[in-house]
Amino acid sequence: MSAYVEFRNVKKTYRTGEVEIHALQDVNFEIEKGEFCVIVGASGAGKTTILNILGGMDTLTSGSVKLDGAEISAYNKKQLTAYRRYDVGFVFQFYNLVGNLTALENVELAAQICKEPLDAATVLKEVGLEDRMKNFPAQLSGGEQQRVAIARALAKNPKLLLCDEPTGALDYNTGKSVLKLLQDTCRDTGMTVVVITHNQAITAMADRIITVKSGTIADMRLNDNIMDIADIEW
Amino acid sequence: MKSMMRKTTLREIKQTFGRFFAIFAIIALGVGFFSGVRITTPAMVHTVDTFLQENQFYDYRLISTLGWEEEDVESFLNRDDVRYAEGAYTADILYINEDADELVLKTHSMPDNINGIELVKGHFPENDNECVVDSVMNGRPEIGEHIYVAETNEEDTLDTIKYRELTVTGWADSSYYVNFERGTTSIGTGTVDGFVYVPKGFFDSDIYTEIFVRFDEDYEIYSKAYKNYMSDKKETWETYVEQQADNRYDRVIADAEEKIADGENELADKREEGQEELDDAKIKLEDGKTELEDSEKKLADAKNDLDDAKREIDDNSSKLADAKKELADAKKKLDKVKKQLDNAKSTLVQSKKQLDDTDKQLSSGEDQIKQGQEKIDAAYKELENNDKELTAQETALAAKEAEYKAQLEQIGDMFDMLSAEQQEALNSAGREIEAGKNALKEARAKLEAGRGELTANQAALDTQKYTLSEGRKEYQKGLIQYEEGVKDYEKGVVQYESGKADYENGLEEYKDGKSKLEDGEKKYRDGLAEYNKGLSEYSDGVSDYEDGLNDYEDGVKEFNEKIADAEGKIADAKKELDDVEEPDTYLLERNTNIGYACFENDSEIVAQVAKVFPVFFVLVAALVCITTMGRMVEEQRTQIGVYKALGYSEGTIMGKFMFYSGSAALLGCVVGYCGGIILFPKVIWTTYRMMYHALPMNYIIDWKLAGLSLAAALICSIGTTWITCHYELSETAAGLMRPKAPKAGKRVFLEYVPGIWNHLKFLHKVSIRNIFRYKGRFFMMIVGIGGCTALLVTGFGIRDSIADFAYMQYDEIQTADASMTYKTEDDNVIPESLRGILDDVSQEYLLLNESSWDILAGDAVKEISLVVPENYDTIDHYMHFRTPDGEPLSVPGKDEVYICEGIAERYEISTGDEVTLRDSDMREIRVKVTGIFENHVYNYVFIAPETMEEQLSERLEYNTAYINFQEGADIYLQSAGIAKDSHMTSVSVFADVKERMAKMMSSLNYIVLVVIASAAGLAFIVLYNLTNINITERIREIATIKVLGFFRNETSAYVFRENLVLTMFGVIIGLFLGILLHRYVMAQIVVDMVCFRTQILPISFVYSTVLTFVFTFVVNMFMEAKLEKINMAESLKSVE
Repeated sequence: MSAYVEFRNVKKTYRTGEVEIHALQDVNFEIEKGEFCVIVGASGAGKTTILNILGGMDTLTSGSVKLDGAEISAYNKKQLTAYRRYDVGFVFQFYNLVGNLTALENVELAAQICKEPLDAATVLKEVGLEDRMKNFPAQLSGGEQQRVAIARALAKNPKLLLCDEPTGALDYNTGKSVLKLLQDTCRDTGMTVVVITHNQAITAMADRIITVKSGTIADMRLNDNIMDIADIEW
Repeated sequence: MKSMMRKTTLREIKQTFGRFFAIFAIIALGVGFFSGVRITTPAMVHTVDTFLQENQFYDYRLISTLGWEEEDVESFLNRDDVRYAEGAYTADILYINEDADELVLKTHSMPDNINGIELVKGHFPENDNECVVDSVMNGRPEIGEHIYVAETNEEDTLDTIKYRELTVTGWADSSYYVNFERGTTSIGTGTVDGFVYVPKGFFDSDIYTEIFVRFDEDYEIYSKAYKNYMSDKKETWETYVEQQADNRYDRVIADAEEKIADGENELADKREEGQEELDDAKIKLEDGKTELEDSEKKLADAKNDLDDAKREIDDNSSKLADAKKELADAKKKLDKVKKQLDNAKSTLVQSKKQLDDTDKQLSSGEDQIKQGQEKIDAAYKELENNDKELTAQETALAAKEAEYKAQLEQIGDMFDMLSAEQQEALNSAGREIEAGKNALKEARAKLEAGRGELTANQAALDTQKYTLSEGRKEYQKGLIQYEEGVKDYEKGVVQYESGKADYENGLEEYKDGKSKLEDGEKKYRDGLAEYNKGLSEYSDGVSDYEDGLNDYEDGVKEFNEKIADAEGKIADAKKELDDVEEPDTYLLERNTNIGYACFENDSEIVAQVAKVFPVFFVLVAALVCITTMGRMVEEQRTQIGVYKALGYSEGTIMGKFMFYSGSAALLGCVVGYCGGIILFPKVIWTTYRMMYHALPMNYIIDWKLAGLSLAAALICSIGTTWITCHYELSETAAGLMRPKAPKAGKRVFLEYVPGIWNHLKFLHKVSIRNIFRYKGRFFMMIVGIGGCTALLVTGFGIRDSIADFAYMQYDEIQTADASMTYKTEDDNVIPESLRGILDDVSQEYLLLNESSWDILAGDAVKEISLVVPENYDTIDHYMHFRTPDGEPLSVPGKDEVYICEGIAERYEISTGDEVTLRDSDMREIRVKVTGIFENHVYNYVFIAPETMEEQLSERLEYNTAYINFQEGADIYLQSAGIAKDSHMTSVSVFADVKERMAKMMSSLNYIVLVVIASAAGLAFIVLYNLTNINITERIREIATIKVLGFFRNETSAYVFRENLVLTMFGVIIGLFLGILLHRYVMAQIVVDMVCFRTQILPISFVYSTVLTFVFTFVVNMFMEAKLEKINMAESLKSVE
């Protein structure tokens, strides 16, 4: 029985003209179902590339990536799109909401195309935006916008929730509350959550910590001392 | 530092080449269209102008009903303002080609130096019975084939041409026929198949049909300068030409009278002369008769003489035969004597020879003796000499001996005393003397012996001398005998000679007689021949005389006939002279040449279209520039902030953008201008060339236009850039560097209508909200797409309006089959003969008065055709009055007029207005407009006959008739039949006019195509550009929805649904806009005498809509590829 998420000898090479850049090399790791995993590393270490590959937004040069037994690395373009559509939820650093859709509609935009979506309004309620549903993104604060983004990802009812520096554009407290939302979601729904960050402090709340350095995995360990987000300070 | 700015600008161009190209393309398209369409008409006119100037196209075509003479040509040629004038022959002639087809050909004499013709194939005629034919007939006839003048041609035509058969030597184009119109004719089927050029010698006439005059000026055709020049000429020339024609008339009359007088004189002279000749002939005949009788007598005498001569000759002949015999006998005798004499002679010769031999022997003997004697005498002499010498020697020796002896004595005793040598010398001398004594003794003995021998020889010689003298005596005897024989022989010879002479005399006499006889015989024969000749001459003389007699009788008869004939001719000529009418003259300008006139109209249409469309293109170009540059400035907002913060001046920053758009515009302008002024004239000319020869295009470059284009391009680009830049730059640097607050989402009006909104699909709602989110873009899309649709609608609409007007006019409004004009007679009604023909061929006809009047409306004066039907009872069989909206109209009543819509529109006349009509004599009538009727060709005004007669107080002259032919009749045949009547001036078959107009307008189809192609280009660029901007602006959003797992088609739909909706809006607006634009364009296209029906067929709306959507789909297809390329990782980036 293999792991829920599995990277085996993943290698990613970008080629620009004559120059080859090895973004990833010999990346091996696995994440179990329902885990809250934090991938940490400095800027340019390759963590975003890992996320792109895991999220089906990018292909790899060699190696294999599996999610729930299915080999993503063998998917073609269309299959990748379907994979993103049904199996993955994304949360971006800059929220990426559609400006002329209300909070509810932004969630619906994602829910519309799924097989078993959660009710958009319910999800929004769960993320604490019951009152702001009819507002346009421009009328929401950063934290609220990120909550909408999370709600949009959750409404798809994905197998995997991928978050790329979800707190990067937020202030300290708001960031904390967003992280709390993610942790709670993981705990309450058993969703596998992968958070990418350069903030070493956040690792304390993770079940599994993967450290990336210069395109390869420097360290992977399970957290013995999981802390509540409220107790972490940085 | 400036160079860094330049570097970033150039790099910017390289990196955003798509955008740069969009500006370039729209400017190129706009300028290309603007300059191309503008320059087409001047270029076309220039092309034809060059062709016509090169070929010395005429300025005036002068026609006189009396024709012209060389003298007239000279007179025109001598005028100061005339560069060249040339007389020409023209005739419409019916020919039959080798396939037995009938051809009606405009037959022209080959011009020397005016209205040039250009050879297409073959060569120009070299003989008077050769020709070159119209190249449009295309092988009917081929080169080398013949065409035959049909015998069915009018007598008058046949009289003026020399040959009945022409050989085709080539094909030609003529500047006189610039397009393919060949005009109409009154012969054959009424249609002209083409032209044919023949040498002047083909025509059997000194009277030119027309004179072409070329003024000494080269104004451009159709130019105002030319028109003014010609209108200045008109009055003087009209007078002058009339004067010239009158002169000619006077000359003709004078000539004719003179000729008649001459004729009469000549007749009198000839009559006298002829009579004299006849009398002479009669006398000669009688003389001949007497002569003949004389010769008959002379011949009989000659015959007698000849018989006598014959008898005499026979006598002499027998006498001569006798004489011949006698002579033969005498000859025999003479021969015998001759033989004897010859024998005697030979004997004598022999003895003479013997005698001579003897004489020779004797003489030689005597010589020998003489020689012997001489020898002996010589020997004696020698002997004596020797004796003397011997004696001398004996004496000498004796002396010597004596000397020796003395010496010896002297010495004597002393001998012994002498030396041996001296002794020896003395002894030898003694011995020598002794020897000499002995030798002398011996010589003495020999001498004595020689003396004895000599004496013996003398004796022998003497004996011989004696014998010889004996021989000589005998020889003398023989010689005497021989001489006697000779004497006898000579005597015999003399006798023989005298006999011979006798014989020869006889022979001579015989020969004489014989030759005399032969002479006589010859003379006799000659006489006989002469007699025979005389006899035949005599019989010839007899027959000559008989011929002469006949001739004389014929001559008398002929003389009488000719006299009668000549008298008849003179009478005819007198009568003809009375019939000669004063000539009418016509001054026909270039605009009466159908090709010249058609080309003006055709090219003018292009010019009119050129007035409107370019403006539209420039507008759209400005629009594209403004959106593109606006977008660019917005994208670079942060950068601008940075520049500003770094301390760059506003001008430098703005310069970057202005350079960007300006350089694109400049390039676009150059490319567009160059392309436009070549491509448009080329395309449009290619279509026109089908109608106007295959003249090569003369492109022109109009710098003024180039400047204008450049100015427009720069305003569109730099101007709009300046506006957008200026707006952005007014913000502070800090404000610029801060990201612009994203535009807030907004609810659209539709959301407040739950009935609709709640039923919409979610993604449709998104699209709708997106559409209204960016007002600017929405507006651009609507204008761009709407403009494209409007252009298409206009393009199709022009075709709809123009293609149909001729059919509309002649199928629905002016439904008469033909119209004809004729010369009226004194009673102002249709001539009887014509009425007869009309009754025959037509089903019905309506007489009318049609004349040119001016309509005065406000300040405007416009020439119109005033039509006054004899009555309005059956007018609806010929002309359907209805308003432009299709409402039926009645007929104009008293003091009322109906005017056509074209005039009404142009001069803003409406029903109920009072207008004044004025004719060329300045007579005026005032009437009220009670109807405006639909009419598309010519400017008609209809009025009631009562109104005219009352206001002008005169009877109207009905000089025109509208005709409806019988059902199923061949209209052309019938009208050609009518045209033959002498009263006819012209017949025009409306079907013909209709076809011609329709054909002329069909050239517009190509212009429509050009418009459509340009509209397509425009639509494409606008859509591409706007969609491109749309996508770049929303690249994050698109990346996000891709990340969310939208499939390819869903993503496209998400983006392009907006395009389609906007296209739909654009189309709807464009259709309305198109109707307006079309109406405007049609108002600009003013072709004199033609009023188009401004209409757009429903199908044209469909075409325009479908095409616009097709363009949108094509652009979407292109863009989908671009969407596909958007990297999802973009969504992870920060806001720029």
